[in-house]
Amino acid sequence: MVSAALASILRSGRADLNARFAAARRIHPDLEADAFSEFLRTAEDDLAQTVEKARADRLSEVTMVAYDAALELVGQKLAGPGSRLASVEEAWRRILPKAAGLVATAPGRVIPAVCNAVHQLASTPGARPAQWIEIMAELGQECADAEAFLKLGQVAAWRAGLAHFRPGAIAASDALPEARVLAALGAKSGSSWAEVRKRILANPWFDPAKAAKNSSTLRVVARAGSFRGFGGLFIEPPLVASSGEHFLVRSDQERWLLTADVFGATFHRASVKEFEAAAAERRWPAGLQMSGSRVVLDGDRVEFPELGDFSSAAANGATLALTSRLTHSILLLALK
Amino acid sequence: MGLRNTFQRVSRSPTNPHPSSAPSPFDVADLYRGPVSTQGDARDEGAPPLDEKLRQAYFWIVNSAIISPHYDVEYNEGPPQAFVLGDSRSRLTLPSGQSYSSFVLLPLLTFATRRKCLFIGGPGRGKTASAILMGVLAGYSVREVRRAMQHGHPQMTIADLLGNPLPADLVNAQRIEDIRISWRQWLGMRVKVIDEYNRIPTRTQSALLTVMGDNYAEVLNHIYECPDSAWFLTANDEQGGGTYQVIEALRDRIDIVVQALAFNPRFLADLLTRIEENIRPEEVVPRQIIFTEAEVDRMQEEIRAVTVPGEARRRLEFFASHFEFCEVAADQFEYKTKDTARLAGVEWHTLAAQDTGRDRLKDLGCQTKNGLSVRVLMTLLIYAKALAYFRGNRVVELEDVRQVLPFVLHDKLSPDIEAPFFEAPGNSVFRADRVGWLRKVLDLSCADYDRLNLERDDPVAVLAAEFRLGLDGLSENDTRGRLVKIERLITEWSKGRKLYGHLYDDLLKLKYLHQRYTNYLRWLKTQ
Repeated sequence: MVSAALASILRSGRADLNARFAAARRIHPDLEADAFSEFLRTAEDDLAQTVEKARADRLSEVTMVAYDAALELVGQKLAGPGSRLASVEEAWRRILPKAAGLVATAPGRVIPAVCNAVHQLASTPGARPAQWIEIMAELGQECADAEAFLKLGQVAAWRAGLAHFRPGAIAASDALPEARVLAALGAKSGSSWAEVRKRILANPWFDPAKAAKNSSTLRVVARAGSFRGFGGLFIEPPLVASSGEHFLVRSDQERWLLTADVFGATFHRASVKEFEAAAAERRWPAGLQMSGSRVVLDGDRVEFPELGDFSSAAANGATLALTSRLTHSILLLALK
Repeated sequence: MGLRNTFQRVSRSPTNPHPSSAPSPFDVADLYRGPVSTQGDARDEGAPPLDEKLRQAYFWIVNSAIISPHYDVEYNEGPPQAFVLGDSRSRLTLPSGQSYSSFVLLPLLTFATRRKCLFIGGPGRGKTASAILMGVLAGYSVREVRRAMQHGHPQMTIADLLGNPLPADLVNAQRIEDIRISWRQWLGMRVKVIDEYNRIPTRTQSALLTVMGDNYAEVLNHIYECPDSAWFLTANDEQGGGTYQVIEALRDRIDIVVQALAFNPRFLADLLTRIEENIRPEEVVPRQIIFTEAEVDRMQEEIRAVTVPGEARRRLEFFASHFEFCEVAADQFEYKTKDTARLAGVEWHTLAAQDTGRDRLKDLGCQTKNGLSVRVLMTLLIYAKALAYFRGNRVVELEDVRQVLPFVLHDKLSPDIEAPFFEAPGNSVFRADRVGWLRKVLDLSCADYDRLNLERDDPVAVLAAEFRLGLDGLSENDTRGRLVKIERLITEWSKGRKLYGHLYDDLLKLKYLHQRYTNYLRWLKTQ
């Protein structure tokens, strides 16, 4: 059974909605009527009920958009019983009803955006969709409009591990109220966005949640990537080269761009040419020395005897990336 | 979403991804792209490059409009899987690269280059539907395209085709200039569709020829200038059938011939859906793939800017040089061509019987009754560029030439089916398979090119390159030296070598160079 409001809309648009289901089934032959009905009865009905309370006049449009989105999600086994990614439905259930007022004003933007964003996070190794859902469920409802809601989502996605969105997320942060940005980034209480922003731009390893001043201690900040047999990307232990503020990675015949900061590390397909160009142009920070499995920076010393000799090393102003023949992970050391 | 939207889905970019040359910047807005369609997706994405839009149009047509499971324009990125089947050892290949259906691809390239395409094939195979789609892609409504379509029939007059003088003017006018003409609307359209053109009477075909060839129409001394347009013609039987024989000049104006292949009954379910849902693809063309006039103009410019590298051009030159030469057609060297014999009305079999002891199996020129015209070569280059552009490249590959060549030459290079080549084991199939034959001839030509090592050792190319540097400042001694080089080369070639088409063209080129140097030397002596 569904709520009376949703039932009424489904009844009034019955022929059209049935036709939409038939059309969706042609694109996604695995779309099961039972699974779709279940999603309608639960997730979509929850949303309909909260929208009815917030903006009853917009319920019809919200329902239609939600219906189409649900068809696509259930058809691709991204929601409903037997879905491949639990986090998509979780985001729907936890974020959308709470932000019902915003959903009502722009359902065509907000509903797909939430589903697509969490799908992207769930599909990116190392990203944390649960953290994104948590932030959006808590802060999303406070946004003044859909535009602000979507910007908040971008900032939250960066914090949840999508390091490659760092510049865009910083720009999005500038357009949001300070308190909301700081909350989204988990900044220590009493911080100001201007100060946090300055330090974030100066050092990708600065963590707004910690009060630590710039540390000169050479330290391990991340281990990125893993063996394909364990769900990672690499067939064989990788090699690295520096590419501006990022790194390029080679493993067997494949090349990747690695972006990394305090919130996460992500890999993106790159070409052989890009890797070769980066490998040929090696830059090395002054004062950084390596010997065997030891790294020394201005007197600070770190040793990794378990890794044996490094097979490759690359550095930019803030990060040192190291690889070894004994591991499929890339060791990232902060230099700031 | 809805049913119409299902048919209006356009393939997501990039439709033919290439390895990027530089790391692409990350856009935080991409966070919201994913499995769920966003309202206004098309608005958010900026206008794609025109080659991408063309590919999107192609994929929409093959996925949603024309049920066309034939992938006969094959590209490979690495060795393809190949299988031999049946008693006749038919070969089926599974291409390893993005391959295309000629029936959709070539009309689309015709649309992009504003050339002339003829659809051939039995009735009910989608020829007219495909032509209508091209009109819709140009921004016309289905109704406009249908109304503007000219249907050939045995009673079709010039007035039916072009327009009528106004009856009142016919009565009242004192001078012919005063008679106003009511021109037919289709003349002003940028996509012109002539259905069953081989049913048009001969006299009306001549009027059509003027419009097709010279882009204007004439009635009672009044002229209507037509815009540049893409032409799509259909014929049920191109090989001389139809109500009227198509005049040769009209056939010659057609740039490319595409065959509508048979429907595969395995796709009957798709037809059933069309019937049940009452969907006509031409009525649901997504607006993202509709081209404005300015876009087609720009696309033409971009296609023209695609470069043809020297290597591909040389192989094409070598291929084209096989066919025109006919040693027994004339005494004077320049007239030793099949065209000389044709103009003189000499019977083809008489010429073939007089042949001079060349290896008629090896000589590719023996397979045809004619050579290639300048118009055909230009068309071939344009379509090769268009295909490279469609694939997202800015340089033509030999494979692009190889893929378009059979469709451009389909009606232009006449096979001599009595030639020894067609008698050879396994070759009799090429008497009916024009596309396969033409591709085979190009492959044989390229093999010959490799055998002669012309890529590395091409003395005529060296001499031509030397000449292209210019004559300014060339001394008398150097000029004489070059003349001697040319004469020595001809002397060397004359020692016991049989004369083939490519050698004939090389010799004519050497004669040209020799003449230019001779004239220059003569001028130099007067200074």
